[in-house]
Amino acid sequence: MNYKIVLTGKLLDDTSLEGAIESLATMFRIPSEKAEKTFARAPITIKKSVDEATGKKYKMALAKKGIECTLEVLEQRVLAEDVVQPDTSVTASVQNEQLVEGVATDSPISSVAAVSPENTANSQHEEFKHDNADPLLGYQFQFEGRPDYGFVTVKIPADETLKVEASAMATMDTNIKMKTKLGGGFSRFLTGESLFINEYTAEGGQGEVGIAPASPGDIGHMFLNDETIYLQNSAYVASTAGVEVETKWQGLTKGFFSGENLFLIRCKGKGDLWFNTYGAMIELDVDDGYVVDTGNIVAFTEGLEYSISKVGGYKSLFFSGEGFVCRFSGKGKIWLQTRGVDAFASWVHPFRPVKNKG
Amino acid sequence: MQIELMHQPGNTAAKIILAENEICTTEAGAMIATSNNMDVTTTTHKKQSRGILKAAKRLLSGESFFINHFEPKGGPGELWLGANLAGDMMTYDLDNESLIVQGGSFVACEHQVEIDLGWQGFKSLFSGESIFWLNLKGNGKVLLNSFGAIYPIEVDGEMIVDSGHIVAFNETLDFSITKAGKSWLHSFLGGEGLVCKFEGKGTVWCQSHNPGSFGSSLTSGLKPRKA
Repeated sequence: MNYKIVLTGKLLDDTSLEGAIESLATMFRIPSEKAEKTFARAPITIKKSVDEATGKKYKMALAKKGIECTLEVLEQRVLAEDVVQPDTSVTASVQNEQLVEGVATDSPISSVAAVSPENTANSQHEEFKHDNADPLLGYQFQFEGRPDYGFVTVKIPADETLKVEASAMATMDTNIKMKTKLGGGFSRFLTGESLFINEYTAEGGQGEVGIAPASPGDIGHMFLNDETIYLQNSAYVASTAGVEVETKWQGLTKGFFSGENLFLIRCKGKGDLWFNTYGAMIELDVDDGYVVDTGNIVAFTEGLEYSISKVGGYKSLFFSGEGFVCRFSGKGKIWLQTRGVDAFASWVHPFRPVKNKG
Repeated sequence: MQIELMHQPGNTAAKIILAENEICTTEAGAMIATSNNMDVTTTTHKKQSRGILKAAKRLLSGESFFINHFEPKGGPGELWLGANLAGDMMTYDLDNESLIVQGGSFVACEHQVEIDLGWQGFKSLFSGESIFWLNLKGNGKVLLNSFGAIYPIEVDGEMIVDSGHIVAFNETLDFSITKAGKSWLHSFLGGEGLVCKFEGKGTVWCQSHNPGSFGSSLTSGLKPRKA
């Protein structure tokens, strides 16, 4: 289902109008006069045709700046029905007319044009791109099948290269050439990540790559802006050339004793990064530390210090079923997955056939 | 104790908010994450009540010997719980009553709920499924998980459910083990084996998939283990 984001014009938490205009201008990279005009026209649609998750992200980001907006369902289906059945109710057709007008003429009131002219200039761009926090940065991509069976299609610009976890490629255009590279160097062997990173280059023109992560679950994206993020080894899906992907040796206590193959990949630099989870994805903002089962860690930001420790006393270590946990301290963001590959594997274990003797 | 279910129905996780000094008892291995101030103890019996005998009984009933107790210190705490199989979760408020829960479906409960693990209403041996049963008694919230979707069946009269599909049921129901087909031979050849017949008035919560069947379907594709 598609949504549109409507700016109500109301301000939250005693935000001043000037402040709100300034925030809106920086967020959408438009001159402040334009942002002021947008506010004057409120309620106004500032973005349309976004999925629910993206819509909520925008809503939250705007709310943080003290700007209230609402998510409304874009009723595209009614439009289709209307063509088939001409005698739909009056209200429905009025709504459709507005919708058609908005699409056809790019009327500044109902489209992104009022806020972000660059985006409407390339309307296909807008249609294809989803879930990118900053619409003007990074590659175009599209998520499908979220949240249970996440799949991502990335559009690679001509002669650029995308790094993808080996064996994750599902579909690609014929002008894309693949090259296997020993990304991450020798330490990759140590991390137990059996897979290599393949490089996909779009030769002579842009091309699309469809990427399917190994485990069923959600898929996430972030744009690294000279930032560093740590990923659990199997969470890596793909990244653009500007992101340096390297395995980080954990040290004996952190890596070996965790028993759950908690090896981390360090991604740093500038560019897009996609990662996946097994099960649903939970995003946590951590202010004062957190404790996470090693099997459920997906990723965390650089600001967090971590140590592997036991969850309670020694009795808990052996019998709690949690084994070792990761104790984070500091401030940052953690992504978790609701299922663990290792936990599932041990659940399956009793169902393995028993070897016949002799 | 507040329970919030997230990412339903396929990848459900529960977010539990505990006030200071509230204790949440969970199945071993269910924790995904907790806030930093959480005190974790692992016991073989209900906290603060000695029960070596009970623990031994639990061991015999084939259930994991240990349960975890989470208690936040110096303020409220957060606890995330998940299961190892894909599926949904449900909460139930016990109001001075008993709920019989399939062992693998139990995730967590409030501390004051009494967990009796030796409940032998069904002889697991006879039902042919390697499942055990818990009897949750008293007052408080209970959190259960299922493999696949979870759906309640209001029984008023009689109802037959395959034992592998049962998540929980009210103790007010009478039950008996019976055969699904006309004869014992038909029942076994039909793959249903023994089923459970409920009588009376109450609710049975069922899961859409049978974990045992799923596990068996994987067997042929797995490498043999040594023992």
